[in-house]
Amino acid sequence: MSQSTCSGSNQTAPVWSGFDPASLSATFGAPCPGGRPPPVTFSALQHHDALLAEIERLSSTGGFCWHATTGEMTCTGEVYRIFELDAEVPLTLELLGTRVHPDDLPLFNDMIGRARENTGGFECQLRLRTETAKYLQLSARRSDGAGDQSLYFGAIQDVTQRRQSEEALGNVRCELARLARVSSLGSLTASIAHEINQPLAGIITNASTCLEILGSDPPDLDAARETARRTIRDTERACEVITRLRTLFGKRGGKTESVDLNGAAREVIALSLSDLHRRRVTLRAELADDLPLVTGDRVQLQQVILNLLLNAAEAMTLIEERPRQLVICTASEAADRVRLSVQDTGVGFEPHDTQRLFEPFYTTKSGGMGIGLSVSRSIIESHDGRLWGERNAGPGATFTFSIPVRGPQCNGHNLGAGRAFVHTERHLRRT
Amino acid sequence: MPVATLVSIVDDDESLRQSLPSLVEKFGFRVRTFKSAEEFLASDCLGQTACLILDIAMPGMSGPELQRELSRRGQKIPIVFITGERDQVLRQQLLAGGAVECLFKPFSPAALREALNSALGVS
Repeated sequence: MSQSTCSGSNQTAPVWSGFDPASLSATFGAPCPGGRPPPVTFSALQHHDALLAEIERLSSTGGFCWHATTGEMTCTGEVYRIFELDAEVPLTLELLGTRVHPDDLPLFNDMIGRARENTGGFECQLRLRTETAKYLQLSARRSDGAGDQSLYFGAIQDVTQRRQSEEALGNVRCELARLARVSSLGSLTASIAHEINQPLAGIITNASTCLEILGSDPPDLDAARETARRTIRDTERACEVITRLRTLFGKRGGKTESVDLNGAAREVIALSLSDLHRRRVTLRAELADDLPLVTGDRVQLQQVILNLLLNAAEAMTLIEERPRQLVICTASEAADRVRLSVQDTGVGFEPHDTQRLFEPFYTTKSGGMGIGLSVSRSIIESHDGRLWGERNAGPGATFTFSIPVRGPQCNGHNLGAGRAFVHTERHLRRT
Repeated sequence: MPVATLVSIVDDDESLRQSLPSLVEKFGFRVRTFKSAEEFLASDCLGQTACLILDIAMPGMSGPELQRELSRRGQKIPIVFITGERDQVLRQQLLAGGAVECLFKPFSPAALREALNSALGVS
């Protein structure tokens, strides 16, 4: 018996394989309390079945009914198709488990365990080790009827295509973000050269002094040791600059970690400070004490901070009649959020540009690509946060982002490419 | 014994303020260091400084601004600029503006010694 059906075909198979309407009636009692159900003809049922089967195929969603105590299970044809199982085989959760990707098996088993303990429902994402890897969205809830409390109804959706599109989109976003980083690297070249030349000057000076000291008679060995120590310290300093650059501009996928926003901001400030000096910009940092850690991608957040700093500095390039002042602030907000803002005394923006500023390739600068703010906003949104710009009461503008302390839970919109498939399991509240 | 000639160093980089004096002292000079142009202007060293080793990019008053301020005050101190940025145009401007030398970091001790000697008219 074929499980797949096709509209217009006379050979329609029942959608519910192994389903016994009598058992469901036994479970729920009379299907229509207070009276007999309206008479249904066999052909009307067949038609209904065919329609449901077609909808299942279209939405790649199969339905199932599972008894947590007895393990009895009935499924629609689409479940067989998704799991690539022979339609004649009696279905059990254990059998479905054999198709689950080994890495996701603990999650699957845990879910069954919890369901047997009579939770209200479950929801998770699973990978299958079928011929081509599949991603499934599985959700079920306990029957809230008056009958058997161990009965679960659920849906299994094949979300592979959506998943692949999201991954492709994530890769493109990631690449765009990197492009924006590399573009900001260009504008920081002078600053970076300065950052590296400074310790190099120290290394040469100290090593030369050391040689001079050793060449004198008698040599002051303590002084020579001190200059050697300073040489090492300056070398370490040069290495730190290189490390900072590599983490900020290297090619890498998204990584979620606990981030100290103040520390991240300080590193960005260190890299851009001499660039700001060159532009005659004074920077004041007002970083809040005891700022809670946020969960997120440190490098991406640093990129946003860098974009905001560079934007602010560029907005002040032509300002001569007032100090070019940049203030970077961090603060805790209510409801477990933290915010970071960058305020400048630059040219500001017109009220009607408030939204356009964040559009890709919108720029008011001759050298800009116009993707800085747009990429920044998508990074912040992937952290479940918000980025916005405001006109100051005085001259200039302030750009602020606010992100939750807990950071993104499971989502497919994360900028990180190649991220491991994230599981969610939510216990539905019984209504 | 005559007091050694005073060379003042103005640079916001702490590491350089620690390392450079030892080297300049090895050349036979007395050294004072300042972390900003403002600190140097406020010191009692202006009259005694025979040569100024001056960073270009600093928070607050920049090296070239200090050069202009000294010139405005009639202080004719020979200046050797040092900078982490390899900006040839700026270098030419500074030399045209009366600087003795403009060295790009990292510079060799020999280049610095030569610049100091040239500033102090020592052959």
